[in-house]
Formats: sequence, structure tokens, C-alpha cells
Amino acid sequence: MELIWDGLCDATRMIFSGEPLVFSAAWRSLWISSLAVALATLLGLPLGTWLARAQFPGNRLVVLAFRVGMALPTVFVGMVCYALFSRRGPLGALELLYTPWAIVIGELALALPIIVGISHGAVKSLDPRIAETAWTLGARPLQRWWTYVSEARVSVMLAILTAFARCVTELGIALIVGGNIKYRTRTLATATALETSRGEFARGIALGTLLLVISLAVTALIGWLSREDRQ
Amino acid sequence: MIDVSNLRVVREGKPICAVDQLSVPPGGRLAVLGANGSGKTTLLRVLAGLARDYSGTCRVTAEHRERTYVHQQPLLFRGSVLANVRYGQRPGGRDALEWLRLVGLEHLATRSTRNLSGGEIRRVALARALAVQPRLLLLDEPLAELDNEASETICRVLNDLPRTTIIIASPAPLPGALGEVAFSLS
Repeated sequence: MELIWDGLCDATRMIFSGEPLVFSAAWRSLWISSLAVALATLLGLPLGTWLARAQFPGNRLVVLAFRVGMALPTVFVGMVCYALFSRRGPLGALELLYTPWAIVIGELALALPIIVGISHGAVKSLDPRIAETAWTLGARPLQRWWTYVSEARVSVMLAILTAFARCVTELGIALIVGGNIKYRTRTLATATALETSRGEFARGIALGTLLLVISLAVTALIGWLSREDRQ
Repeated sequence: MIDVSNLRVVREGKPICAVDQLSVPPGGRLAVLGANGSGKTTLLRVLAGLARDYSGTCRVTAEHRERTYVHQQPLLFRGSVLANVRYGQRPGGRDALEWLRLVGLEHLATRSTRNLSGGEIRRVALARALAVQPRLLLLDEPLAELDNEASETICRVLNDLPRTTIIIASPAPLPGALGEVAFSLS
């Protein structure tokens, strides 16, 4: 108990004193995950909506593949990305390994199935009158797509939130393709793991607390944006 | 405008809708009458292009963007009443507020569609359909759940659309000119 209490006191001190190592890791976690989720949303939302509306042979198989992808272990994604970006890998020439961009790509692979899977389910379960009404009012394809997303916006926001929570807290990808390099690729999750393995529990708790604060803030923001009564 | 012959819709071996012959000229009005389950909604959905599982001939000389169908239980999109009326509005037509004024609901323009009564939803859906300025307007029981005043307003609005072909499904004969030509389904 004393250990946790000391950790929390230390965490408060570190957060309010603005310790560079902590805030650098926090900022990196935030921008890497935000960018990965933004890219996944840009790609996944149209894809999930399209899969929900389109009828073609193999549609169910594609959807099933994305659903399986929703539970991908982060170490597995990290290993695949490592194999791709390592010097002898097919994308080795890009020299992305041990850069934040490698983590962004890995987290994109993690977030994409979540966005596609949840948005597909959300649009699929919409009242069929929505699509019919939009169609009979002469809406163009882009307007119809936006109508589906807008009508399913609570689930869409939930998809984005879930993807962000998965990315910002993941360890496997950041550790394997990022390398946990101080002031370069160290994220809150890798820093927490490092400090704990060194026996620096207080610092570990401080970093973990900051991670929790970010998650809560993002949850609150998305909850506010997607609240039912908001026009 | 509409030519239907030997139209049959059969689902799971059960006849849903049967029309031997039906013609409606441009600008014509037709009341499709019939009891529940007689196939009124199915006929309207076939004419709207929403149902394609039919046999026989169904010719409608209006593109899909020129036909508008209003459901028996209309659905309004999330957002304000005005945004809904503007949804399919064609450029160069009346202002969305004017369409709302026609159905007597301009005072609800900024209200959320989540806070409307059944009758108000019906009238907003009609204003939204009119804003599209369709050549063919298909209305499924538009007077249901409406009080006398609202019904009279809607009938007046529909009678003032001389260039639009209007097909209305209804379980009972319609008041005034709307019921001028009636077609019964059994």
C-alpha cells in the first residue's frame, strides 16, 4: 500500500513539475496514437460503411477477416512490422525501424480492423428506412455515406475511442519497432514498463497515472462529442 | 407517367400484390385504396424503385431522382427540422422555410427532430419530399395520425401541385380532389 501511495505522490510531483522525460513520452504517445487512429478512421470508416451496404461475393469473408483483426495481439503486429521494416525486410530501404513512424504504421494496423468492424456493424444495424429515404430524396453517394455515418455516430465515436484506447496503451508494437529510445521513440507504455522493470515503481505509477489521465480525457471528449442530444 | 400491367409480387410463395392494369397520366392523382395487407405499400415501393422483386411490366417515365417516396412511418434524419427539409432540396426552388410554412410548421424550423410528435414528423417528411420537387410523389398513408386541421393543410398543399403526379396509399377514401381517381387493391 505504501508503495502505491509513494508512487501516487511521486506521480503528482512529476506531473506538476513538468518533468521533461515524462512529458516527452506523453506527448509522443498522444501524437502517435492520434495520427494512427486518424488515418485508420479515414480509411476504415468508408470501408466499413461500404462493406455494410455493398453486396458482392466474399463480403462476409472480408468482414470476418476484419473482425478477427480486432483481436490481433500487439506483439504479433509488432513482429510483422519488424519483419517488414528490418534491414533485410521488403520495406527495409525506407529505414523506418526504430522511428515513431514505424509505431504509427503498426498502430494503424491495430486500429484499422476496430474502426472497420465496429462501423460495419453500426451501419448494418441502422433502420433500413434511412438508406431508402436518402435514396428516394435523390442523395448522391457521398451525401448518403455521410448520412449513414451521422446516423450511426455514437457507434462510430465508440469505434474511434476503442481504437485510440487500444493504441495509446499498447506496448508490443512500440517496444518491438520503436525500440524504446529515450526522447525518440519512448512512449508512456514503454516508459512505464521500463521503469517498473528497473524497480522504479514510483516512476512507473507516475507514468501509468498520466496514461490513465489521457485515456479518461479522450473518453470524456468523445463522449461529449457523441452525446445523443447534441445537434 | 405510369403504366403497369400484370404486376405480381410473390414472396415466400405468398402473393403480396397483384395489379392487372394501371395507368396514370403526368400530373394525375391516384388514391390506391385497400384493406391492410392488400399490397398498397408494395405497389408504391415498386413504383418508387425500392422493390424490384416483381413480375410483369412497370414503366415509370421519371428518373429515380425525380420520384420521392414517403414511408408509412416516415423517418427524419438526426439534426434540425430545417436541415431535413434542405436534405434533398433542388437548387432554384422555394426556400426550405417556405416548404415548412406550407405544411404549417415554420415555427419548428430550428427544433431537433427527436422532439417532434408523430403528426409533426409526418408533415416535416412531406415538406422534405416536396422540397425535392419530384415529378412523381408517392405517399404511404400520409393522413394517418393527423388531426382534421393538419389533414386539411396537407390536402390543400397537395392539391396546389399541378405538375406533380401524386399516388397516395390509403385504407379509406381520401377527402376532396385527392381521391378523385381511386384504384382498389384486393
